[in-house]
Amino acid sequence: MEQRLANTWRMTNNEKKFIESVLASDLRVDGRRPFDYRDLTIKFGREQGLSEVQLGQTRVMSYVTSQLVQPYRDRPNEGTLSIFTEFSPMADPSFEAGRPGEFAVELGRVIDRGLRESSAMDMESLCVVVGKSVWSIRVDLHIVDNGGNLIDAANIAALVALLTFRRPDCTLGGDDGQELIMHDAEVREPLPLIIHHLPIAVTFAVFGEGNIMVIDPTHKEEMVMGGKMTFTMNSNGDICAVQKAGGVGVMSSIIMQCLQIASAKAADITSKIKHAVEIYNTERASQKANHYLLEVANQVSLSDVIMKEKQVENLIEHLAYMPLDELENSNQGDALAVDTRTKHESISQGRYTRAFVRGPANWDPYSRGISSRLATSFPTLPGFWCVLLGPKTFLLETEETTLLHAENSLG
Amino acid sequence: MEYVDSLTGFRLDGRRPNDMRQIRGEIGVVAKADGSALFEMGNTKVIAAVYGPREVQNRSQQVNNQALVRCEYSMANFSTGDRARRPKGDRRSTEISLVIRQTMEACILTHLMPRSQIDIFVQVLQADGGTRSACINAATLALADAGIPMCDIVTSCSAGYLSSTPLLDLNYIEDSAGGPDVTVGILAKMDKVTLLQMDAKLPMDIFENVMQLAIEGCKAIAQYIRGVLLENTKQLECRRGV
Amino acid sequence: MNAETSDAPPTSLVDRTVVPGDTVLDLTAMANQTIKLGAGLRQDCDTISVMKAGKLRLSKPNKYWVESSHKRYAPCVEDTVLGIVVDCKPDNFLVDIKAPTLAFLPVLAFEGGTRRNIPKFEIGTLLYVRVVKANNSMNPELSCVDETGKASEFGQLKDGYMFETSTGLSRMLLSSPTCPVLEALGKTLSYEIAVGLNGRVWVNASSPSTVILVSNAIMNSESLSGVQQKIMVEKLMQRLQ
Repeated sequence: MEQRLANTWRMTNNEKKFIESVLASDLRVDGRRPFDYRDLTIKFGREQGLSEVQLGQTRVMSYVTSQLVQPYRDRPNEGTLSIFTEFSPMADPSFEAGRPGEFAVELGRVIDRGLRESSAMDMESLCVVVGKSVWSIRVDLHIVDNGGNLIDAANIAALVALLTFRRPDCTLGGDDGQELIMHDAEVREPLPLIIHHLPIAVTFAVFGEGNIMVIDPTHKEEMVMGGKMTFTMNSNGDICAVQKAGGVGVMSSIIMQCLQIASAKAADITSKIKHAVEIYNTERASQKANHYLLEVANQVSLSDVIMKEKQVENLIEHLAYMPLDELENSNQGDALAVDTRTKHESISQGRYTRAFVRGPANWDPYSRGISSRLATSFPTLPGFWCVLLGPKTFLLETEETTLLHAENSLG
Repeated sequence: MEYVDSLTGFRLDGRRPNDMRQIRGEIGVVAKADGSALFEMGNTKVIAAVYGPREVQNRSQQVNNQALVRCEYSMANFSTGDRARRPKGDRRSTEISLVIRQTMEACILTHLMPRSQIDIFVQVLQADGGTRSACINAATLALADAGIPMCDIVTSCSAGYLSSTPLLDLNYIEDSAGGPDVTVGILAKMDKVTLLQMDAKLPMDIFENVMQLAIEGCKAIAQYIRGVLLENTKQLECRRGV
Repeated sequence: MNAETSDAPPTSLVDRTVVPGDTVLDLTAMANQTIKLGAGLRQDCDTISVMKAGKLRLSKPNKYWVESSHKRYAPCVEDTVLGIVVDCKPDNFLVDIKAPTLAFLPVLAFEGGTRRNIPKFEIGTLLYVRVVKANNSMNPELSCVDETGKASEFGQLKDGYMFETSTGLSRMLLSSPTCPVLEALGKTLSYEIAVGLNGRVWVNASSPSTVILVSNAIMNSESLSGVQQKIMVEKLMQRLQ
């Protein structure tokens, strides 16, 4: 009994009364107007398909993964989309660990319906072999902090993650033409998902006798509200899903008004998401160019043909300035130029060290005792090494120890 | 597939777009329960039983100023065409349980029964589209039978939009056509919408028409439920010999 | 050099940030001295070490404590706090004061309290109370009267708005001279405020918009210096006009 009382987050009657009474005069406790959205921040992870959305105090992480699976029997040529929600007790003491609760299920279903039933994603493009293998897209939504209005935040997080997600390209090939070949990201550019439109969830909290509406409720407002409505809409003004699961009754005329507001908000949020994703993609592209450059430089240093210093540098410079043309922003361009320069230095250093450490091409694990310096001095006698492995090693070891002694005495 | 005949304007099962299926409600079908009802909408058949208000079973869930309402929705194994064993507590039924619970909470005067618990069990015996509407209608009848104070009657009905026509009360074939499906629950006397669920893409003006059609359907059901309750009360009075 | 060490304060960490595990004082070096330890410090054989991250404070001549800001509250006798009634028992009200355990408020701990006139509080009532007993093995005990048995402002807080901040902020709000944010707000607005040392703050005013403004200004001042607080309030006032 005591335990139960101690563990919950509670609210005073003063707060409840105040929040309700202030709403009657169109004020909200956090200083917003009834139809103001909180600040939206979208962050991306290092990996593609990872996003973190912050809506006021609410924080939701989303991670998209893909896997090849057998399609459902009734839809042999369509990929699958599944949404999993994790309401960990970390975000709110009222969430219980273990199986997802009712609200976690509701949240998942609302987002799922918005995406699936409005055919926002092209599922047929996820098909690899009809009836045999299709891509299964899994969206994991993790609530990090519950500051109210989880549905909207989670929906945005899911969309952003899906927009930035890239799946590996795969084709049929092999001897019989039936073998699945998964192409490495380096060989073939990974493919984005085809998303036709963005269904944005906009939630209203209903207060009083169903005549007071507030958009994007906070945690405290959610404790007081009589019910809530979520409208999932896209920027064209189409309704993709509606969820008002009971609660205080609302006149149908008010519902239509809310739809109008939701439509405007959805367009607003869509542009925010698109803007954020665009910036991320440009950054990613330039990063990739750098990455590619690094790879090439490494390959250059590893190749048997020794390139002249000048040549390598030319190549590096050539590659480094390639993405610059694509960038419109001159500021970014400057930063990037600096960036590539530092990289280029490290690369050329790396080239030296690599060449030094690497030793002879046919490095033998048994010749562990040989110092690299000595080894490099015998690079062209592999056969000889194999035959006289035992004594030779011994000999070399003695030589080395003497050398070491010499060095020590010098040092 | 043609869901509305372009010549006659009839639907697959011979109804007009604005026609509802035949509805039937029966009170007192589970003797053990405090209140119970059976509700049919065409071939959809749902049974609801209400226990309570009674002592809260799990003390940690007790609410100090109002009654705790719980709801469990389930589908009988034989309710659909394929007779598969249905796992309890899958995501769909969890969500429908939540939806039914919150819808019923909107009409139950919970503050009159603090520290108590009301259990609503609904089971789908035969599924032919519109199960959650039928469940809500059955639950309303069962709650009334149990004598639980309510501020209004909640009724529910669905409507869809196929072949560019708004259709009232979809059956299973129409429901699985992949078109929009709007389920509405209203507080009949107050004329307020408490439940509203929709999926699939629909422009706003069409949505309004479909929603209005569903609301009309709800009102018709409310009329019928009112009749059933009046009849039942009269019978009870007769039995008491008033 | 020798003279300096003997005269200098025994620890050079005073007014510096310390973290758990830091050793603050070495007792072997300071025989025949009494020191008093406050929150966040403990004696570990011959050393005094830190338990909580924060700023080490020294009140001359010999009181040491670690000043820090938390969301939870460790009850301490004579603190005034804001509590929420959680349950009513025949002898006690159970009150949540953000402490590890619920606090007891005896039903007789009111001015002129007798068995005949036990006050009635709904669950969720906000109370301004004083901590009278605080030790680890018992639930803390509260009282709604001061030492002389007068009610003096303790008791139920009606209307207004309550929000939760950190213990550090509430201490800042209670410090004298008056905290800059409250002073700046008070120049143009009239409001009532009750600050509990457990990080809860209650604000009331005649118009709800004032309450919202004051509470948001206080919540925003959590990490601002005195001057910044004043600027922030001025900006808020300008926007209001």
